[in-house]
Amino acid sequence: MLADAIRAEGYRLVRNRTTMFWGVIFIPLVVAIGGALFNWFNKVQGDRAMAAAGVEIPAGMGRESLNFADGVIAASALGANGVVLVFSLIVAAALYAGDYRWETWRLISARNSRLNLILGKVASMGLVVLAGLILFQIAMVLFGLSQAVVTQRPLGFETDAGRMGEAAGLAAVAWLRIMQYAMLSLLAAVVTRSLLAALFIPFAVGFAQSLLQSLGLGFLGWEAMDWQAILLMPGVAFDTFKLAISPEGNPLAAAMAQAGGPTPPVPPREEVIKAATSMAVWTVVPFVATIAWFQRQDLSKE
Amino acid sequence: MTDVIVTRDLTKTYGSVRALDGLSLTIPKGGVYGVLGPNGAGKSTLFRILLGLIKPTSGSASVMGGHVGDVSAGRRMGSMIETPRYPPYMTARQVLEWLSLAHGLKPDAARVTGWLDRVGLAEAADRRVRGFSVGMLQRLGVAAALITGPELIILDEPTSGMDPPGIQEMRALIRSLADTDGITVVLASHQLLEVQRVCDRVAIMNKGKLVREGLVRDLTASGERLRLSLTPMAPAMALLGDKGSLEGNAVLAAIPRAEGPALLRALIEKGIDIDEARWVGADLESVFMTETGTVQTPEAIHAR
Repeated sequence: MLADAIRAEGYRLVRNRTTMFWGVIFIPLVVAIGGALFNWFNKVQGDRAMAAAGVEIPAGMGRESLNFADGVIAASALGANGVVLVFSLIVAAALYAGDYRWETWRLISARNSRLNLILGKVASMGLVVLAGLILFQIAMVLFGLSQAVVTQRPLGFETDAGRMGEAAGLAAVAWLRIMQYAMLSLLAAVVTRSLLAALFIPFAVGFAQSLLQSLGLGFLGWEAMDWQAILLMPGVAFDTFKLAISPEGNPLAAAMAQAGGPTPPVPPREEVIKAATSMAVWTVVPFVATIAWFQRQDLSKE
Repeated sequence: MTDVIVTRDLTKTYGSVRALDGLSLTIPKGGVYGVLGPNGAGKSTLFRILLGLIKPTSGSASVMGGHVGDVSAGRRMGSMIETPRYPPYMTARQVLEWLSLAHGLKPDAARVTGWLDRVGLAEAADRRVRGFSVGMLQRLGVAAALITGPELIILDEPTSGMDPPGIQEMRALIRSLADTDGITVVLASHQLLEVQRVCDRVAIMNKGKLVREGLVRDLTASGERLRLSLTPMAPAMALLGDKGSLEGNAVLAAIPRAEGPALLRALIEKGIDIDEARWVGADLESVFMTETGTVQTPEAIHAR
């Protein structure tokens, strides 16, 4: 019967074209099309500037091959960036709060257990997030392709099993990070029965955590990797986990390392355990709280 | 199993309000069973408990032999509570396919088309529900209740928002569900004439309690009354006491035929003008009005 719940939710979600477009397709579309336009614009501007300065580029310069594998890994590292998170919440809010908004619980709640109904929604969200990350990957590949076409550089795919493993690990962590936000959306939806709350409460929590992270924790007397700090800020845990998987987990640091700067340090085991605990808490606790609340909830307007 | 729904001392309170007050009701399998009551009688609360949408405060209820909330029992029934709503981006056909999937059935195009045709939505099958009228939503709600092949369906105001031809179609459909498809239908309605025509048995509720229950033909046959069009009415009601009730601008006297002539003489001697006097059988509306205490009192008549 869990399979019934997943199939039914998936069927309904796929037909909500507005939500699917904004939540899943829009960002990859912007990256692919916008990226191509950006690359072309850059090329045109660069050529104009060179011509105006009377500079001629020596033959062969700037024609080294582009490595597709870099795009794949960058996409994995960036998969849970702030913009993707916000747009993913559109899907989460529609999926989790939709039955309250349309009073359709009465149609399905007698046919399946409440646990399965929630699990069906969570599983559907997981599949949609996975699809979104794949589309994002494709969009980044297309971005690299357009760059190669515009700059007339050959394309290559140089990698090894280790790097591809890192890419897969980064993608998995990105998936989990988006699902963490989706769990907050789930809890907000069930407790408040409001689509707007399901959309904005996770956003507000994330914003507050980002603000705290940027302010630093010195005023609280905490160090960045103290237990209380990392449990309060799953974003720090997420970044730590990414670094543990791959130096490319921090794209800026990775770019600096490629340019000859220092290689980002791999986090020690103790910090990785703290990070994993924080990510688990922020995923499991909202889910368990949701189930507990939903099991006792009156599913009617009264 | 001979009974599809059994409640024992079922109570639901919302703060100080007792929406259901010790309701004990047994609904047998087969036929069409009506649940009547004025607004606030507890009909919708009862249905919501039976569907597992809300939990009772005390007492027990069982549906199809299982406790309410039992999914295996829930899968053997369908329902339509109030004016149904659906995701507006879905078509009627998609709604039924979605509900089939939720029930664990593979969407069967022929089955979906068949039910849409039966409720009169064949031409609107591929239209999005956001453009549906209330009557169309009601029809889709009935189809949604039936798409999974239930043994019991619960319909709350199934003809609400429908035009007269639609009401007639719905009445015929409900009757055919019981007679042809063997589905037990439980419906709540304010359309007492429709209930009298469609239902085999009725339960009359008031203020969360069961006040009368039985076969429709027994309830309506139990009260031949003398219908009197007369003026003024207050002295006539005072003379009749608790044997008198009002029906529109007429007085109904619940007396045996043998006492009719004596009553008419007494009324004339009191100076009451009698325009018409005839014997009538009781209908469900008068039974309902009497049982729910919604007949007008002599004080209200004095105020006229």
